[in-house]
Amino acid sequence: MDIIVNETPVRTSKNYGINNVKLNDIKIPEKLNEFNNAKIYSNKSKISNKIENEKLAYGNGKILEDNVYNNSNNILKIETEKEDIKIVYEFDDNNLNLINNIEIIGNKNCNIVIEYKSNTDKTCFHNSIIKAIAKENVKLNISIVNLLNDKSLNFEAIENTLENNSIINYTIIGLGAKTSITNYYSKVLGNNANNDLKSIYLGQKDELKDINYIVNLYGEKSNVDIDVQGALDDNAIKNFKGTIDFKNGCKKAKGNENEFCLLLSSKAKSKALPMLLCTEEAVEGNHSTASGSVDNSELFYIMSRGVSYKEAVKLIVKSRFNKIIERISDEYVKNEISDEIDRRLG
Amino acid sequence: MSKLLEIKDLYANAGDKEILKGLNLNINKGEVHVIMGPNGAGKSTLANVIFNNSEYTKKSGEIIFDGENINDLSTDKIAKKGVFMSFQNPEEIPGITTTNFLKVAKNNIDGKPVKIFELKENIKKNMEELNMNPKLIERNLNVGFSGGEKKKNEILQMLVLNPKLAILDETDSGLDVDAVKAVSKGIDMYKNDENAVLIITHNMKILQNLKIDFVHILIDGKIIKTGNAELAKEIEENGFSKYKK
Amino acid sequence: MAKANIKDINRNIYDFKNADNYDFKIEKGLNREIVEEISKMKNDPDWMREIRLKALEMYNKLELPTWGPDLSELNMEEIATYVKPKSKLNSSWDEVPEDIKDTFDKLGIPEAEKKSLAGVGAQYDSEVVYHSIKEDLLKQGVIYTDMETAVREYSEIVKEHFMKCVPISDHKFVALHAAVWSGGSFVYVPKGVKLDIPLQSYFRLNSPESGQFEHTLIIVDEGASLHFIEGCSAPKYNKVNLHAGCVELYVKDNAYLRYSTIENWSKNMMNLNTKKAIVGKNAQVDWVTGSFGSKVSMLYPMSFLNGEGAKTEYTGITFAGGGQNLDTGFKVVHNAKNTSSIVNSKSISKNGGACTYRALVRINENAKNSKCSVSCESLMLDDKSRSDTIPVNDIRTDDVIFSHEAKIGKISDKEIFYLMSRGLSEEDAKAMIVRGFAYPISKELPVEYAVEMNNLINLELEGSIG
Repeated sequence: MDIIVNETPVRTSKNYGINNVKLNDIKIPEKLNEFNNAKIYSNKSKISNKIENEKLAYGNGKILEDNVYNNSNNILKIETEKEDIKIVYEFDDNNLNLINNIEIIGNKNCNIVIEYKSNTDKTCFHNSIIKAIAKENVKLNISIVNLLNDKSLNFEAIENTLENNSIINYTIIGLGAKTSITNYYSKVLGNNANNDLKSIYLGQKDELKDINYIVNLYGEKSNVDIDVQGALDDNAIKNFKGTIDFKNGCKKAKGNENEFCLLLSSKAKSKALPMLLCTEEAVEGNHSTASGSVDNSELFYIMSRGVSYKEAVKLIVKSRFNKIIERISDEYVKNEISDEIDRRLG
Repeated sequence: MSKLLEIKDLYANAGDKEILKGLNLNINKGEVHVIMGPNGAGKSTLANVIFNNSEYTKKSGEIIFDGENINDLSTDKIAKKGVFMSFQNPEEIPGITTTNFLKVAKNNIDGKPVKIFELKENIKKNMEELNMNPKLIERNLNVGFSGGEKKKNEILQMLVLNPKLAILDETDSGLDVDAVKAVSKGIDMYKNDENAVLIITHNMKILQNLKIDFVHILIDGKIIKTGNAELAKEIEENGFSKYKK
Repeated sequence: MAKANIKDINRNIYDFKNADNYDFKIEKGLNREIVEEISKMKNDPDWMREIRLKALEMYNKLELPTWGPDLSELNMEEIATYVKPKSKLNSSWDEVPEDIKDTFDKLGIPEAEKKSLAGVGAQYDSEVVYHSIKEDLLKQGVIYTDMETAVREYSEIVKEHFMKCVPISDHKFVALHAAVWSGGSFVYVPKGVKLDIPLQSYFRLNSPESGQFEHTLIIVDEGASLHFIEGCSAPKYNKVNLHAGCVELYVKDNAYLRYSTIENWSKNMMNLNTKKAIVGKNAQVDWVTGSFGSKVSMLYPMSFLNGEGAKTEYTGITFAGGGQNLDTGFKVVHNAKNTSSIVNSKSISKNGGACTYRALVRINENAKNSKCSVSCESLMLDDKSRSDTIPVNDIRTDDVIFSHEAKIGKISDKEIFYLMSRGLSEEDAKAMIVRGFAYPISKELPVEYAVEMNNLINLELEGSIG
């Protein structure tokens, strides 16, 4: 089936090829058995598996959204208590398809790490919706770690709601999958609410990374900070779409957005559409994007210390990624990420 | 002697924080006053409150200048009445040259069009006195100026606009010898029997060559001691610890 | 603090209108008969007639854009595509009919010509009514004439370039333009000839419910250099007018072209203009654009950096007041080694106006060692207005230095306080800051060349003070 996903909130010229992405011949699995290889580490929070399905404001289109609502083989509703939660989905030959639906009700401060990894060489399919709400004065740290193998398909639709004085720190580690589509939307409703989103991506071979981040600021003195660091090698294609929308009434709100793409090959393609939309006067918005190859003087310096070209490039990529990986609270997962980067840039 | 500035029992906040807590101060024509105090005592707040900066709020008390309560006047009206403030960190305004800016400001303050030739002569003369690079005047207001150049530019504006009261909110550090000299010299050139100066500072160097009439010590939002120039020397030697609670 | 009153652009000097006196006004709407009739009236050669008819077909096929400002108010059935003024082409202002000459007098064009221009073209509705160029430039082989004359007298060169830089299939309004175009300027600067003072064309649309579709074709041959200025205005009517001009620029190897536009159409104008430049080896095209008028604008000048070492700079300012939706920006395609582009855009939105910066930077795989730097800043003067930044960056090779920065915000309270402490009222302080904001761009506009721009920039953005 051909599907069109990741529509930007505002269209621009069709010729620029960035309003959405069309994927051909996608097989969307239905009627699945339970995903058996999910491990959940949690002591206190209430975890159940009934979710009221409400339509997403953006998301990955009707087909994939209905796929989650009608065919999920893993549903988690998490009502947070103060603790660290870790959820690991390990794909294997018997568990190749995961359609999961997660709802996080942030009643108390909580760290949540969600990891997807492949213990198989076969194509894995992952389609998910993760909704989170940070209640008043609550701080949620949510990390999504995608280490799926390089044949996989990965679809993520994320939707956050922030109440007064709440914080959501989101970290997305996009290392895996042949085709990875991420749709992220935050509704920053509360006054003094703060959404911080940091992510990394690594594209190799003929991989496609399509990233669509949308943050709407409604609350007074609300704040958003988006920082995206990526690297593209071989024939990889990346589309980054980042929108900060200052809605009327979000007085003294601030929004920052920064994307940097390190190009490691002359065939890689980096597209970016960093949008600032604004209907409020008393705001401060900034965005910047940059692309370029590895800095030669930096490379030279490292190599003059006896490091090979390949290792030097790896060091430079990792140095850009590390400040974002550092945010993940789980040491074990952190090491897995580091190993995966080494392996992939190996 | 005739009164120029009179502050009565002034309470003021910066945001939600109470900074000035019952400050009193009288300045007469012909006088040079210095306010000293440790960091956070409210020194800069005082200058900003006099100038009705919207980031600060007056809670109670009165500020009377030249016989008129100026509590509720907007900043530009206060300037037009003859008060000048030299900023610690003068803003950089791109797209307008310093000359043009001075022309506009002078027109506003004097309430009549200035004669360009006279103004330019006036600027030129003062820049020479202050040892300023003459090219600065054609550059955009404070844009890319060094700290010392900005400071001199403030003093230049004071000399050109010729206010009745000059409040100099001095930086606590970071000025080179040349800039410090320019400030002293500028004050000397400006000062006469009809006007007054209020210097807010930490920096004794600026005070060295000046004839100071009064020194006030500001601690925790109040003036707790007033003396003559000797008091400044004492502070220089012993610091404020003696006066802190 | 209270809101400052940053004044709207003073339009009085543009809003005078003449009686709708015309020699011939074509039926409203668009069909094959109308296009054929325009072609006949213009004595088109066959090749031009064919382009027109092909373009009409294309126009009927193409959809309206699915993005950008709302164009639903535009009803082609209500627009007259061709209005012939009661004047032939003249080379002396004395021969131009009184009411038309009066118009250009009020806009200050003949005055500017005397003082500081190398040549002037003036178009009134659909036809060019005046064209003149300095004697010494003629001797050097510079051609500056209206498009119709060019089609007749320089047929080969026009045929080789017409609708080649901008293909008729580019978008619906380009197709429309190619079908009904009328008027405009043709410039040819021979190899090595450098013009040290500018040429200016001025476009005036007087007739209500009509369109202006002028075509500008400029060829700056190898090593030559030119500054071309384009000015546009129209009086305000209640019904929608349409401007769908087309500008094609060919900047050959080592040549330089600066193309300045002051667009001040009235606020009932739909300004859907297309401008593109093909830039040769070590050549450079600089765009300077001030967009102040019109109800809706969709205007994105484009540079194709096709030759090694080609350069382009875009400097633009957009000022949208109440009822205006100005969607502007820049497009650049890097198609060769060592090319570079610099973009500097500013916008100001006030009183319910909407500004959009929409852009494309594409650095293709063959554009090794290329550079691009983009900066755009938007100023919001109140909370009724709108300001969007929608730039696409499409980087297809690694050996590049690309950076893009954008800022959006209001006037700094600290700056206002500083200026007020020097005796400026809040309004004056804000106006001064807005002028300062616009200055890096307004200084690039050829202020000294036309009274029109003096009025725009000086009176309105720099004026109200002092």
